[in-house]
Amino acid sequence: MRDEFLSDEDLDLADMAIEEVMAYWDLWFHQAQATNDEDQWVYSHGVFDEVPAAART
Amino acid sequence: MNVYIRLTDEFNRGRIRAMVSSGQAVVLHKLAIMSKDGDWIVREDAEATAHILAVLASHGAAYRFGAPLDERWLRGGWSSHLEHHEGQLRIRTDFVTRPPRLSPEALDAAWKDAERRSPPVLGIRELAEIKKTNREKDYAVIGELARRIPDGFGQLLCSRSARDLIGLADAHPDEWRHACEERPLLRRIPEGLEPLEAALDAERRQLMHANEQRLQSYKDAARDWAAIWPSVQRTAASMPLTQAHDYLVQRAEGVLPFDVS
Repeated sequence: MRDEFLSDEDLDLADMAIEEVMAYWDLWFHQAQATNDEDQWVYSHGVFDEVPAAART
Repeated sequence: MNVYIRLTDEFNRGRIRAMVSSGQAVVLHKLAIMSKDGDWIVREDAEATAHILAVLASHGAAYRFGAPLDERWLRGGWSSHLEHHEGQLRIRTDFVTRPPRLSPEALDAAWKDAERRSPPVLGIRELAEIKKTNREKDYAVIGELARRIPDGFGQLLCSRSARDLIGLADAHPDEWRHACEERPLLRRIPEGLEPLEAALDAERRQLMHANEQRLQSYKDAARDWAAIWPSVQRTAASMPLTQAHDYLVQRAEGVLPFDVS
């Protein structure tokens, strides 16, 4: 028995060439644009998790 | 080419100024497909930030709410956030010079390591530290990152699997005893699987709460900056980025503290 953390799709990345990984990410990135409105106030990195309410314009 | 890799090349033209971090580093390490945004650790000097701003200006970027890309704020752990569009694509670019949970020595070693990689990217061991956030999904990433760490000591410090930890302690008893000093949870290994799993859960929650408190302290320190941000952003919107940056710096001085205690 082994603890699993990620999906099979993610684990398969390790066997792909980096160019294939980039192409896969690029496709995902284009599709992920569909959620831009939902995450307009959200941060993925840094010291903020979202734009403070007072700073929203 | 991945837009964030292309930007990394532009940031590093002539000199290594920025290494890929966080989600895009996870992608480059071929671990998972994640993160719509780019995140870089930047050299903490005026030439590096000026060059990066010039690159972003050439793409028509604008600031999002955050600290100016200025080493006085970055030195205090603040992050800077910009955004631009390429066709239909929204490109977000996030920067720090002092990533959380990395000691100055670890950061220095990370730069030396990154400079040997193309593109420069944060190494797996340091990436595992960065990922100790308040988001559940990041601990799954750490769990898999730990399995890629080449040495038993590093794996013992980062693993999120009780089964893996029991096996690691058995295979590397000296490293395990030494690692217990840095990670007290490892002392629970002799108690068996279930107590160790409970300790891992408790450790994760402790780390998540610690990061929540860290973010809250920056949010509190940015309250006055947030209050004037709508007017600052409106004025800056009519300026080219380099001029907008100078304006942001001028408005942030005295309002956004350099250091957060």
